[in-house]
Amino acid sequence: MTTVSWAAHRAGDAEAVRHSLADAERFSVIFDTYFGEIHRYVAQRLGTDSAEDVVAETFLTAFRKRARYDPARASVRVWLYGIATNLIRRHHRTEVRALRALGRHGPDPDFPGHEDEVSVQVSAESLRPHIAAAVAELHQRDRDVLLLVALAELSHEEIATALGIPYGTVGSRLNRARRKLRAALGDTNPMRDPRENGHG
Amino acid sequence: MDDLTRVRDLYGEPGPDPALKARVGALIEAEARRRLRVMPWTAALVAAAVAAGVVVALPGGNLASGSEGRSILLAAAVRAESGDARAGAYWRVRKLVRERHPEMLGGGANRYWMIEPRVSEQWVSRGGRVWSGTVTLGAEPATRTDEAAWRRDGSPGEWPGLSTAPGRSTLTDVPGGVAFSMAGQTMTFAQIRALPADPVALRENVAKAVRAASGPDQGVVADALSGLLWSKPSPPEVRAAAYRALADLPEVEYLGRRTDESGRTGAAFSFELGVPAARRTLIIDTGSSQVLSSTTDAPGVQHDQVELVLEAGWTDERPTAPEAALPTGTP
Repeated sequence: MTTVSWAAHRAGDAEAVRHSLADAERFSVIFDTYFGEIHRYVAQRLGTDSAEDVVAETFLTAFRKRARYDPARASVRVWLYGIATNLIRRHHRTEVRALRALGRHGPDPDFPGHEDEVSVQVSAESLRPHIAAAVAELHQRDRDVLLLVALAELSHEEIATALGIPYGTVGSRLNRARRKLRAALGDTNPMRDPRENGHG
Repeated sequence: MDDLTRVRDLYGEPGPDPALKARVGALIEAEARRRLRVMPWTAALVAAAVAAGVVVALPGGNLASGSEGRSILLAAAVRAESGDARAGAYWRVRKLVRERHPEMLGGGANRYWMIEPRVSEQWVSRGGRVWSGTVTLGAEPATRTDEAAWRRDGSPGEWPGLSTAPGRSTLTDVPGGVAFSMAGQTMTFAQIRALPADPVALRENVAKAVRAASGPDQGVVADALSGLLWSKPSPPEVRAAAYRALADLPEVEYLGRRTDESGRTGAAFSFELGVPAARRTLIIDTGSSQVLSSTTDAPGVQHDQVELVLEAGWTDERPTAPEAALPTGTP
């Protein structure tokens, strides 16, 4: 998605939220635009079976608090990711259980990831339990940042806004999370710059 | 392959879930309706309702001393007083909700309204934990006129977020869910049990909650009082006080005997919902003092939402996903 269309999109979103105060039906634009993405993120983190409550609560919270949404601070998309992440935090045990299942079985076979090459898949398969365990062992705050980068593809600045933390904290949490992941994957080569695979 | 890619691959891509989207969309709709802001009060809708031949209910008599309506409410209060005070493990309300889809469907000359019926259950443990169960029963045309237009449109069965096919029955544990609310304020079991049993004190208590609610659209005293009759685990003496308080409210009107949408007959009372032409009508079983149905009319839209109370009371059963089966007599 290009920068131009993003900017245009965001302007429309903020307007929809504002208009929804007088005419709640306008909120359906926000719901229709972001339901798929937010559902995917929550289902990834908590598992498809447990996602419903949190996804519902995310949009209900956004709807109830729409008067307090400040377009100058965050895009609607980032605002929604922030709400969802805060709600997911209350489901620590469910998240750990989901990670254990992912480590054992991988994601739902009906919806495979973007792996095509068999060799890559085999290596990914063998490491899967290790990655899942490492993600599960991360501190919640670090995991939130890691997954907002890896799954939601938010920028550092957006994550800072979504979670209400300083910009620099995003980087330090992300680095810590990635260091632990690499250690779990047996990649402890000190020559490797931890920043080389920056999220872009 | 870097560590972030590995994380992404670990999680995979859960597919879209249109049924879940429809359920969550319905929740948002319900929330919006609850706040009386989403209802499409447009002239177009009024015109559509008039064109569809909807009869606007004429107000009935008020509850003057010695009137039939007043004596029905006072008799219901006496019956409520002798109700069972024992609490079970869970407070359960099971209802059939018939809600109108917010948009007219079809095109050209074949435009029609659809009703979205669902069985909805709420379970609340004595500790205040909340479960919500729901099963959609499949959308259907609202009236015969709508049905004819739907047939001319080719009898479609699927729309975005709407289907004529019944849905899956689900039970969800609602973490941090609000068990009960009155005039928009959260209430616990203990607070409901502590409500006054004196009608004047109860009315004052409820009026205070209504005044505390922000904005003029948060409900009215009659509505909050009527909630104590069926949706909340009010002790018998509080239910009795709520009936007596309703009998004293000038805005409550008696409409006479009415039959609800599942064919049960009772005494109908109606009041405005704080927005002109938005009304709620309760049908009460005079024999048992139970509320049979609660119907909301939006301006220009009769029966915008109909709630048929199937069960409201204490149970020792464990929360389970609701059955789609309806009581006999349901159309």
